[in-house]
Amino acid sequence: MDLQDDDAGLMLRYRDGDAAAFAALYAHYKGPLYRYLLRHVRNACAAADLFQEVWSHLIATRARYEPRAKFATFLFHIAHNCAIDFFRRDLHRRPAMAAHYSDSSLPEPEVPEHQRPDRVAEFVEQQSALLAAVTALPQEQREAFLLREETGLSVEEIARITDVPVETAKSRLRYAVRKLKNSLRPMQEPEELRLRTYA
Amino acid sequence: MPDPPNLDELDDYLRGGSDVSCQYHRESSPAPPHALDRLVLEAAGSLKSKAPNKSQSLAPLAFAASVLLSLALVLAIVLAPQVKRPDSRPQVVRVRMFKSEPPRAALASPRERNPALWLEDINALRRAGRRAEADVEMRRFHSAYPDYIIPINE
Repeated sequence: MDLQDDDAGLMLRYRDGDAAAFAALYAHYKGPLYRYLLRHVRNACAAADLFQEVWSHLIATRARYEPRAKFATFLFHIAHNCAIDFFRRDLHRRPAMAAHYSDSSLPEPEVPEHQRPDRVAEFVEQQSALLAAVTALPQEQREAFLLREETGLSVEEIARITDVPVETAKSRLRYAVRKLKNSLRPMQEPEELRLRTYA
Repeated sequence: MPDPPNLDELDDYLRGGSDVSCQYHRESSPAPPHALDRLVLEAAGSLKSKAPNKSQSLAPLAFAASVLLSLALVLAIVLAPQVKRPDSRPQVVRVRMFKSEPPRAALASPRERNPALWLEDINALRRAGRRAEADVEMRRFHSAYPDYIIPINE
């Protein structure tokens, strides 16, 4: 693995106090990171919050930075962890709300916010067939695909970011690609993808 | 769970020749709002922002000034004329002592010219119970005859 990538060098410069190095890193990664988060959590507000959280974490811990991996791996590992925390928080928020309401007054079934059909449908409607299909992928497959597309990282690096064995990462990517290929076929029933969203 | 897809499909995708990748990158590429950019960049800059940068740029100047001041101080100590410093210890006051009688002008009365008579007067005051006056006179006596040895019975 080439640990001497330019971005790691920029991060080292930033660690040592060069604010301009951070600006260069930010300019390079803000788009990929934002799209990864937006399409992964499928919620613009949450994506913006997470985006800020990722960079804040990087800024706060920059003094401890050591280039043990590519900078992209380092950055997206933070992003992965922030997204995981978001999904967990979202999952725990629902039971807490459910306990607050009586059964009769419970406003919604216990479905995480990002999985609520109305929210997902709203997000899907604004996108093309491919992006709708990406949105409809299971969380792990969606993440593997987005990491690959937004960063160009290898399967090994995606495995490292997501803390899974390489074969698992490969398998997730394989399933994701197959489903997305199907979404590009003209004869594909769009309704089928929509139904998968709610499965 | 469906059967695992064809391995070649993944290899083809990883080589970058996949329709999926091409189509994905043809899609719109949303970017973070400018307000978010500003927030992040400010957060990053605030740690080493304008004030620290300014101080960093002035650091060599400050260092040079410190060196010059130190050098000037050392030179001032080494090259300055050796002035005798006033002694901070308690000073011994040299007083004039009279072996015999003090000068005439220093005495207030004729009796005071004779130390023995003066001592008699002081003893008389003490016997009369006028101790304060006797003490005053004794202090005057000691001033006038500092080397006079007073007999024990006095």
